[in-house]
Amino acid sequence: MTYPLQDVRVVDLTVVWSGPGATALLGDLGAEVIRLEGNNRTSRQVSAKTTKEVIASTGYHGGTYPDKDPGERPYDRTALFNWHSRNKLAACANLETPEGFAAALALLEVSDVLVENNSNGTLEKLGLGHEKLLELNPRLVIVRMPPMGMAGPMSDYLGYGPNFNSLVGIASMDGYEGEEPDSAGENYHMDEAAPAGVAFAVMAALWDRERTGLGGLIEFPQAEAVMAEIGEFVLDYQMNGRNPEVLGNTDPHMLQDVFLSADTDRWLAISVRHDSDWVAAAALIDPEGLANIGDTAALRAENSATIRAVFAGWCRGRSVKHAVQALQEVGVPAGEVMSESRLLEDPHLAARGWFRERSHPSVGTYRYPGQPWRAEGFDLAFGRPLPGFGEDNEYVYRELLGYTDDQYADLVRRRLITDHQLA
Amino acid sequence: MSDKITDQPQALSDLRILDLSRWVAGEYATKLFADFGANVVKVEKPGEGSFTRHWGPFPEDVPNLETSALFLHLNTNKHSIELDLKNSDDVEVLLDLVETADAVVESFRPGHLEELGLGPEVLHERNPRLVITRISAFGQNGPYRDREATGLVMQAAGGPMNATGAADRSPLRKPGLLEHYTIGRTAGEATIAGIFAARSGAGSVIDVSGQEVLLSGADRRASYLLSASYSGMIAPRGVRSPHRHGATFTGPFRTSDGFVMIYVTNQVFWDRLIDIVGAGDPEFHQRFYGRQTVSGKDRDDFMAHIADWCLESSKIDLMERCEAARIPVTAFLEVSELLQHEHFRGRGAFTEVEHPIAGTMTYTGAPWRMRNGHAVHRAAPLLGQHGKQLRQQVLTRKSTQRAGQS
Repeated sequence: MTYPLQDVRVVDLTVVWSGPGATALLGDLGAEVIRLEGNNRTSRQVSAKTTKEVIASTGYHGGTYPDKDPGERPYDRTALFNWHSRNKLAACANLETPEGFAAALALLEVSDVLVENNSNGTLEKLGLGHEKLLELNPRLVIVRMPPMGMAGPMSDYLGYGPNFNSLVGIASMDGYEGEEPDSAGENYHMDEAAPAGVAFAVMAALWDRERTGLGGLIEFPQAEAVMAEIGEFVLDYQMNGRNPEVLGNTDPHMLQDVFLSADTDRWLAISVRHDSDWVAAAALIDPEGLANIGDTAALRAENSATIRAVFAGWCRGRSVKHAVQALQEVGVPAGEVMSESRLLEDPHLAARGWFRERSHPSVGTYRYPGQPWRAEGFDLAFGRPLPGFGEDNEYVYRELLGYTDDQYADLVRRRLITDHQLA
Repeated sequence: MSDKITDQPQALSDLRILDLSRWVAGEYATKLFADFGANVVKVEKPGEGSFTRHWGPFPEDVPNLETSALFLHLNTNKHSIELDLKNSDDVEVLLDLVETADAVVESFRPGHLEELGLGPEVLHERNPRLVITRISAFGQNGPYRDREATGLVMQAAGGPMNATGAADRSPLRKPGLLEHYTIGRTAGEATIAGIFAARSGAGSVIDVSGQEVLLSGADRRASYLLSASYSGMIAPRGVRSPHRHGATFTGPFRTSDGFVMIYVTNQVFWDRLIDIVGAGDPEFHQRFYGRQTVSGKDRDDFMAHIADWCLESSKIDLMERCEAARIPVTAFLEVSELLQHEHFRGRGAFTEVEHPIAGTMTYTGAPWRMRNGHAVHRAAPLLGQHGKQLRQQVLTRKSTQRAGQS
């Protein structure tokens, strides 16, 4: 096997969503990603005390667990963790205890990368600030991901992905066509944006290290990373003094929308990019009704509502499958708005082998979402779907860090190392 | 145009990337390289150039190949050469450029590169270590390989769109061109991974399917898919955060002058919110403080009360009061407000770029900060700006090679 990040070791102190998404990508590339997890906290967002009864009492559906059952080891069984946990290793360490702190330092000394996305100051409180770590291991690449950065008047603001989308201008343009932006609900684009950016940044820093011999800090302010995705609107404001409009499913350059088919709650997206799409779509959908109202981009913009009403009527009269097929056959971009169950049975993804069936003793055998891309010429790792809590304690403490039998047994006896979560 | 000259090396200064793409994903992938120091050459169609040159927005809405905001943003630091890939002399120039490149990024329809006689085998013959990143909507193989797609169609196929929007209305896409940027960033990540792998001497062909990038993404899709696989759960539209439970509520609310995003995801935030909303309203406080579930009429009353409460304040005032109480509530900022914002300006989140035709404007700056990191030395290139120089370099290299061989 040839992995791009063969022999790169990553210490993973990430939580919740975007940070773990980033380390998943490094693991795909063959890096050894080791999560250090405290047994006295809910590192995986799930309490060891979660039961079916607790779930029922809160009214939650429990659908993130296999068969809606948190089971004996709920923290090993949640989709909130397991969507990003492929290839990762997990070792138990309570960083606020002297023993856990010592293990973390020892591991960071023999590692190449640290990724963390805790609140500003969390690592410093633990005595693991980046300046100190770089003294210990100058080759270490340290990624810190505070959404608003490590400094600045709003750097300590609380929030989740949708909060920071709102601060960088994305939420203001998100909503149904011509309505206020509060019609959109939520979008988590900042979370979407960070993982590949962090993985790129880590590789850029490792590339730089080849030349300089030095690691260093990567400050990854997630809000600023996602701000790059509206760069054209930032320039438009300076060119024309206008802020983005709320366009819903429409587009300023194309005629497009999302339409209901004859199937219950199954919708399809259709775009007419240019005149040749128009000729094909009009001939298929309603040559008479669409005559002379959309032959040019200007006409399509002017008569957009009328044209879309005709499209809507046509879609409403056929199954989503037939509608998409008919449009694609004449070269018009169209596709179903895919639900999870439709994707799990999708023939295209099946032919490409995208979902991967994997087993784990805590979970059983299920299909897992695949990787974002594939390569010929080198390998990507997709081994164990998740590390059970503490599953790699022995490897990390004894093999990597060289703890003696007595040292290890002592930590186990004092419940500082466990193979299950206590909290 | 004055290039900002600097001796400061950048992390990727020793890399050369050829950008054959014509749309956002490919151009954003190579922008990541160019802004961190790589030498990126955009190969453009003569007289026409990239699609992003035609997209705009343009100053005064007057189309001009050199002033499209989208092109200007996506192509900082790059070089441009016009090559007709159906002309054998130009193809030879391209292949000469391939010889010294670390990677090629392309986003033609699957099979088009082969039709031009420039398939991966041909490119690898000239440069066995080359990384060839191929971006498409549905991948280089499979039954839907040749389907036509736009951003909307890809969001439908790969994004969380089925669960986004209102319950009784159509699924709603994400705004702008975000999906293309997501795919592009991931294609950039794949490309640099390929460059790491090529240290062993082997080149590669990377297949980036836009659909699969979105499906594996952290915008809930991958977690929804795994939940569906685990239990059959289908995330419903119009139910905010279907993963969550108990006394949580999230979403946009109207204030006196705009909107805020409220994100109360746990009991601690909930109780803090009840404290601040119910400060002058003991009845409300008593009714809702400490509640673990709120449903039915309770929930309707609660939401109505919160909506009224938000309307009493401005978005900034509400945000600052909630932040002081450590509750995640943030204002919706417009782009104009973002550009003026003291936090982002103070941090240096923007960068000034001078362009000979579009003038000097403020661009979004470093997506992350590191030693030898992001820098804009040059605005996006004029169409074919570096053609003469690049052709000369190729000729010089060829004659040096021949001299070396004789």
